[in-house]
Amino acid sequence: MSMIEVRNLIYSYNNETNAVDDISFDIKEGTYTTIIGHNGSGKSTLAKLMAGLLEPKAGEIKIDGMVLNEENLPLIRNELGIVFQNPDNQFIGSTVKDDIAFGLENRQVPSEEMEKIIEEYIEKVNLTKFMNSEPQNLSGGQKQRVAIAGVMAMQPKIIIFDEATSMLDPKGKKEIKKLMYDLAESDQFTIISITHDIEEVMQSDDCIVMNKGRLFMHNTPLKVFEKAEQLKKIDLDVPFVFKVKEAFNKKHIRLKSDDLKGLVDELCQYRSNR
Amino acid sequence: MKNMVFGKYIPVDSFMHRLDPRAKLIGVFLLMIALFVPDNWWVFLGLGILIFIGLLMAKIGVKMVLQSFKPMIMMMIFLLVINVLSVRTGDPLFVIGSFTIYSDAVFNTLFVVVRLMLMICITTLLTATTKPLDLTLGIEWILKPLNRFHFPSHEIAMMVSIALRFIPTIIEETMRIMNAQKSRGVDFENGKIGEKIKAILSLIVPLFSVAFERAYELADAMEARAYVPGAPRTRYHILKFKMSDFIFGLVCLIALGLSIASRFYL
Amino acid sequence: MPISFKSLSYIYSKGMPYEFRALDNIDLDIREGVITAIIGETGSGKSTLVEHLNALLIPSDGYLTVNEFNIVPSGKMPFLKLLRKDVGLVFQFSEYQLFEETVLKDVMFGPLNFGMNQEEALRRSVEALTLVGFPKEKFEASPLELSGGQKRRVAIAGIIACDPKIIVLDEPTAGLDPKGAKDMVSLFVQLNKKLNKTIIIVSHDNEMVYNYCDDTVLMSHGKLAYHGSTLDLFNDREKLEEFNLLEPDIVSFKNSLIEKGFRISAGARTIEMIAEEVGKQVKH
Repeated sequence: MSMIEVRNLIYSYNNETNAVDDISFDIKEGTYTTIIGHNGSGKSTLAKLMAGLLEPKAGEIKIDGMVLNEENLPLIRNELGIVFQNPDNQFIGSTVKDDIAFGLENRQVPSEEMEKIIEEYIEKVNLTKFMNSEPQNLSGGQKQRVAIAGVMAMQPKIIIFDEATSMLDPKGKKEIKKLMYDLAESDQFTIISITHDIEEVMQSDDCIVMNKGRLFMHNTPLKVFEKAEQLKKIDLDVPFVFKVKEAFNKKHIRLKSDDLKGLVDELCQYRSNR
Repeated sequence: MKNMVFGKYIPVDSFMHRLDPRAKLIGVFLLMIALFVPDNWWVFLGLGILIFIGLLMAKIGVKMVLQSFKPMIMMMIFLLVINVLSVRTGDPLFVIGSFTIYSDAVFNTLFVVVRLMLMICITTLLTATTKPLDLTLGIEWILKPLNRFHFPSHEIAMMVSIALRFIPTIIEETMRIMNAQKSRGVDFENGKIGEKIKAILSLIVPLFSVAFERAYELADAMEARAYVPGAPRTRYHILKFKMSDFIFGLVCLIALGLSIASRFYL
Repeated sequence: MPISFKSLSYIYSKGMPYEFRALDNIDLDIREGVITAIIGETGSGKSTLVEHLNALLIPSDGYLTVNEFNIVPSGKMPFLKLLRKDVGLVFQFSEYQLFEETVLKDVMFGPLNFGMNQEEALRRSVEALTLVGFPKEKFEASPLELSGGQKRRVAIAGIIACDPKIIVLDEPTAGLDPKGAKDMVSLFVQLNKKLNKTIIIVSHDNEMVYNYCDDTVLMSHGKLAYHGSTLDLFNDREKLEEFNLLEPDIVSFKNSLIEKGFRISAGARTIEMIAEEVGKQVKH
C-alpha cells in the first residue's frame, strides 16, 4: 500500500523558476527511500512540502490516504516526523528530557505519563546517561539522537531525515546512520532520507534522484548507480565500486560485480583467460 | 565573559535548590522590600544573618559571593566620594587639610552599600539555586492572572526559555565570527572610531543573519513537532508547593513584618 | 622551516578547576609549498592547533615560529597584522562571516585592512573571485542573498585576495554537495600547484586526504600521533590499526589486487592510474 502519493507537485519560491517542477511518485509503506540530488535540486523543498511546512502551488500529496490540506494537517502531523540538518536549530528544550517533552506537550500527552515515555525513548537512542544534559554539553551526533528520540516519541508512521548527518563528524555520522538502518529494519516506519551519502543510498530500498526540480530517476540503488554516466552529468557521485567499473569500462574491460571482492575476482578471471 | 559569577546557576543539590521556584521568587520579593524599609543597624544585622544562613543552605561559597561584589566596588567608591563631598551634616569625623568629613556622609554611604550587597546576595541566592527554565515557569505562574486581560504569559515564557537556551550557542558563534574577522585583519581592541564601527559591523551583521536563519529553522522544527502558538498544551514540569516552600515563605514574611515593625518601635 | 612548533602546549581556562589541556607538548615542522592534512577525531586538538598559526591563540607553554615571526607565551606581538596577512585562515562554515553590501566589497575588506591601497585591493579581489569560479555578473550582489556554496567561495576569495603565503582551511568541504566538494578540492590543489601556496587542511575526509594531501598530521587527545607522508600512513595496515583509521577504499582495492599477484606501482593513488596499470596486465 502507498504511504505517500505525490501527484504533479509544483512549488516555487517568490515566483522564480519552479524549485519542485511537476513531480509524481509513490512511496510504499514500511520502505526506506533515499532522495539524492545536488544542492538546489529541490530535495529539501520536496521534504518540506511532504511535511506540510510549505504549501504546494499545484498538485496533490496524500499521506496515509489523507489529502494534505489545512484541515487534515493536524492529523498528518501526528503521522509524520522530521529530523533536520542542523543539530542546534531543532533542540528546543533546555535539557535532553525537556526537548523530548516538547513534542509530547504539544500533543497534550497527560503530564503523569510523560516521564515514562521520555525515559523509554531516551533509552532507545542510548542517551540514558545524558538525559539531564544541556545541549551545549552534547556532541552533534548526540543532539541528532535526541531529535530522533523526540520524533519517535510522537509515534509517527513516517520519519523524514533532511540531511540529518551532513553536519556531523564521521563518528556522529556513523551513529546516526546505524540508528536509521535499525529504524528501517524494524519495519515500523516508512523512512525517507535526503542525503549526499552514497553509502547510505546503497542501504536503502529505493532511491529518488532529483535534478533541477524534476524527478530524474526513481529505482533501486543498484539500478540507479548502473547509470553512472548520467549521474555524473548532473554532478552526482557514485559509490566506489561503480567508479572502478567505469574506469575499467573505459579501458574496454567490462566488469559486472557490485562489490570489491567480486571485481578483483573478475579481473583475475580476465588475466587467466587472456 | 565565561568567568562571570553574578546570575549564574550552580548545579549542586541543596535545600534551596529543591524549593519551588515560585516560593523563591515570592520570598526574594518579600526580602527585597524588607531591605528597603529599615533605618536601623540591628535590623540590617538580623537580615544579614538570615541571608547568610540562606547562602549556607544553598551551598554557595563565601568566595563566590565576594566575587559577585567585584563589579560593584567602583560604584561604591564613587558613592563614597559623592557623599563625602556633598553631605555636610552630623558630627565632624576627620579633617583632611581644610576639608572636614562628616559622620552622616560615611554612614549614609555604608547604609547604601550594605543594602546593595545584601540585595546582590539575595539575587544570587535565587539565580544560583534555580535553573533558568524553572525561573521562567515561576514567572509564568506569577503572570498567569494577567491572562484574563489577554496577556500572552505562556508565549512570553516560551520566548524567554528559548532565548535562555540559545545564549551559549550565540556566545560560541560570536567567538567564531570574531576569530574569522580577526583573521581578515580586524582589530577589535584598538583603532580609530571609523575602524571601530567597521569592526563592530563585521561582527553584528553576520550574527544577525545567522540568528534569522536559526529562527526560521527553529520555527520549522517547532511546527513540525506540532507546536501551535496559543493552542492548549500539557506540561511536563508541574510545580508543586511542598511544606518546605510554605516554611520558606513564612520566614521571609516574618522577616518583612519585623523589618516594618522596627520602623515604628525602635 | 616556515612553520615550526616547539614543545608547544595549550591549556584552556588555565588555573580554573575545569582547565583542559588541548595541546600537549607538540613538536612539529610543517613543510613549505606542499599540502598538509590535519586529521583526528573531534576534540583531538586540530582546531586549537591551527588557531595558533595566526596567533588567535597564544601558546601556554613552548613556542612556535611562522616564517620570521616568533609566537611565544605572554609576548608582545607588534607583527600581528603582518603575521595574519601571511597566514590566511578560513574557518569552518566560513559563509557566516560575510557582512558588506556587495560581494566585491566584502572580498576587498581583508586586503584593505592589511594596508593595500584601493587599486591593488580591487585587482586582487577580482582575481581571487575569478579563481574561485564566482560569476562576474554577481560581483555587485549582496553576499547575504547568495546560495550556501557561493557564499563559501566568496569567503575563501576574501582570504586569497589578502595574498597570504600560507592558507589554512578548517573543513572546507563540510556541508557541500559532492560537486561543491570536488570544486573546493581542485581549488586548493590549484592554489598549491599554480600559486605555490603552502596549504594546510583540517579534514575528516580520509579519501580526500589520501588523494590530494602530500603530508598528514594526525592528532590524538591533544598529542601528535603521526606526521609524515600521507601515502606511507594509509598504506601501512599496522599504523592504520594502531590509530584506529579506516583504510581508504582505493587502498583496500589496490592491496587486494596486489595480493592476487597484480603489479601496481606505489605512486598509483587514483582509480584511473590503477585501471591503467591493471588493464595492461589483463589484456595481452
